[in-house]
Amino acid sequence: MTITTFKLNLGPQHPSTHGVLRLVLELEGEKILSCEPDIGYLHRGMEKMAERISYIQYLPTVDRIDYLAGCFYSELLCRIVENALGVELPDKVRAIRVMLLELNRIASHLLWVGAFLMDLGAVSPFFYAFREREMILRYFEKLTGQRMMYNYFVFGGVRKDIDYLGDVEEIISILPEKIDDYEKIITENPIFLRRTKGKGMLDIDTALNYAVTGVNLRASGMDYDTRRSDYLYRGFDFGVVILDEGDAWARYKARIMEMRESVNIIHQALEYLKISPALEQKLINPVNLKLPAGDYYAEIEAPRGLASCFVRSTGEDKPYRLKWRTGSYYSVNLLRKILVGEYLNDAIAIAGSLDIILPEVDK
Amino acid sequence: MDWSEFLRIFNDCELDGNKIIIKSKLREVINFVIANYTYNMLKEIIANDKGEGKTELIYHFYSTDDEEDMFISITVDGEVESIADIFKSAAADENEIYDLFGVKFIGNENLKRLYMPEDWKGFPLRKDYIQDDTRLAWNDDNNV
Amino acid sequence: MNYLYFLYIEFLSRHNIPKLFGDITFYIIPFCVIAAALIIAVLILVLAERKLLGFFTQRKGPNRVGFWGVLQTLADAFKLLCKENITPKGVDRFLFNLAPVIIFIPVMTALGIIPYSAEFTFVNTQTNVILYLILAAFPVFSIFLAGWASNNKYSLLGAMRSISQVLSYELPITFVVLSIVVLASSMNLTGITLAQFSKWGIFGWFIFPCILGFIIMFISVLAELNRCPFDLPEAESELVCGYNTEYSGMRFALFYLGEYAMMFANSMFISVLFLGGYLPPFGKYLFSSSFLIYFEQAFWLFLKAGFIIFIMIWIRATLPRLAAFDLLKFSWAVLLPLSIINLFIAVLIKMGGLV
Repeated sequence: MTITTFKLNLGPQHPSTHGVLRLVLELEGEKILSCEPDIGYLHRGMEKMAERISYIQYLPTVDRIDYLAGCFYSELLCRIVENALGVELPDKVRAIRVMLLELNRIASHLLWVGAFLMDLGAVSPFFYAFREREMILRYFEKLTGQRMMYNYFVFGGVRKDIDYLGDVEEIISILPEKIDDYEKIITENPIFLRRTKGKGMLDIDTALNYAVTGVNLRASGMDYDTRRSDYLYRGFDFGVVILDEGDAWARYKARIMEMRESVNIIHQALEYLKISPALEQKLINPVNLKLPAGDYYAEIEAPRGLASCFVRSTGEDKPYRLKWRTGSYYSVNLLRKILVGEYLNDAIAIAGSLDIILPEVDK
Repeated sequence: MDWSEFLRIFNDCELDGNKIIIKSKLREVINFVIANYTYNMLKEIIANDKGEGKTELIYHFYSTDDEEDMFISITVDGEVESIADIFKSAAADENEIYDLFGVKFIGNENLKRLYMPEDWKGFPLRKDYIQDDTRLAWNDDNNV
Repeated sequence: MNYLYFLYIEFLSRHNIPKLFGDITFYIIPFCVIAAALIIAVLILVLAERKLLGFFTQRKGPNRVGFWGVLQTLADAFKLLCKENITPKGVDRFLFNLAPVIIFIPVMTALGIIPYSAEFTFVNTQTNVILYLILAAFPVFSIFLAGWASNNKYSLLGAMRSISQVLSYELPITFVVLSIVVLASSMNLTGITLAQFSKWGIFGWFIFPCILGFIIMFISVLAELNRCPFDLPEAESELVCGYNTEYSGMRFALFYLGEYAMMFANSMFISVLFLGGYLPPFGKYLFSSSFLIYFEQAFWLFLKAGFIIFIMIWIRATLPRLAAFDLLKFSWAVLLPLSIINLFIAVLIKMGGLV
């Protein structure tokens, strides 16, 4: 018997590749024999751009690295500059940043829940998730004037004092109920369980070997969350979601549980912000900003895994070299291994469960 | 972490904080580090252009047990051994560095242009790269 | 049909038109009626689906064209008519053009054999049920042609999935239909409808002795229609659009139309088998005049079919898609044995003389 195989181009224009990921699959029937991700359709030269413009000119662009969670990347760049100049952030700025980061994380996870269920063929959760995400985006729009590219964090603080805290209060009072609703319609659905339980198994060793971080790693049972050692989150009391299964279902469940934890963190930040006095911050003058020569490194727990920024400065007003590490980039690399031997419709579920977003991969 | 044993064996290395600067024998060093320390994750490989065709590669390791970062820095001259078989994540990083810096990783057979088009000339993150609009793919006569 | 036929001939003879003309046109008119009714039904169905999905997902659905968006599907159909028919390179032109036409033949015929009311069945043979079973499985042939001729791997995979799906779900349907045939002692759809008549109305329907069969039938029909959660052949997130990926314009509209018309026909078929077809739910008709009763009967049938379609849309809004393996396993390992058990139950009930 001869086995005939054929190549299938999944993407770059495909409804479920969440952007412009192209997977060259070798199929035997519907079974995947090999997978070769092809990226770069969204490459904007973020790193090259940084070498040619000053830090403050670069700051608005970094939101675009991950359009679903832009705050995290502006936070990273701000942190690099603050660390280099030895600036300590006031508590209120920290609380504001934590609150916005966690709101952004929830928005990102909500979109993922919707998109993942869409990949599995369920239409409604997408709209339910977008309804709640809309509330968060509305708040961001009120506060920063932008729905996705906030550009709210600046070197040494935030652009203006926090406002509209009532909206946040409303969001976090509604969200837990809504998350319960998602769980009711999704989590115990037998078809959903069949599609995700035991699919796309990722054990700790493989995950670490492929440098997969974030929720994907924690859903495999590894306790690794940089928020614990993060100075921004100092004083906040929160749990880290760790599940042992390591399958697509665990990754879904971990994100749902993480949203609840984020609500918890926002609650604490909100309590602090409500009683705190007006904002007093000493912003770094961005004009002709020069970092002292040396290497700087900062990392943060972004929704899609560990994000880090490396800057080498030679004392000029531009970085000599700036490198981003993004979580999705390594998840895409993992697809080479995790999809082999799966069937096409499981492959979509598995690739979806890793939460890959292409602007982050291509930078 | 106790590095005295390491420095005794690889005596041409320098230790600078949590950064080790090595001159050569990358694979041996990394194998030794994995065998004797708890580093189990290669977070990333950072490449810096040093000029004159030299590239500094910084391997960023992390130990989940001890929660410690460690950097191994090596300056290479256009070629270096690949460690993609030790850390699978390195395959992705090496490919990116090949694409943007032109460093060849011996032993990694999957190197290809990643972000840049296949027929792109030059490596954009090198300092000697001249950004020339006529070399953009969509201005190329072959690409009509 | 005889009654209508005599009415028609009588009407013609009153105007001095020869009987021969009446004999010929009487068999052409029904097809025009079906074609017109089908297109209207599909337009309503698509609108209903979009509106309902909108409500289920807390949106408004189409609400711009016409009052409450009622003209939206008409506008869409017009748009599809005006679109360019793109034939990609490398397709088998003949089969590619043939496939969307073929899907319409079984659909039209299937609609012709449904008893809409006591007198209104266009094709009334003694073994209508068998004819319907064949026709219901026939669209897969068109899907296969479309997938094969399109020269597209997604289309091919979609057609492949569709064929395996229809093949495995056709058997449970056959067994369930057999059990109904046993209960009704008839292979004629009108006969089956009449066998469900009782003075307690709803309690005479075969859904009560065959509730298991109804569930099996409903699930299998969902699978045959490629409806969610069995929409693997056109799974958007996997196969882009499945077998009709390469189709555009009017050809795509034909597939779309055929699919919805088949959904309409199948839900009427289920109503005939299990929900008493055109029989009223409380034993007697609302109207007393025999002429109005025909319309009332059609109304009951459409209401029952509409209820089944509503459940189909509801399911689509709720459930995610099955995995390909589960789908086949579910048919062979769950539905097929259950449908045989259902057949035994039907035979036992018949032997006990309960029906």
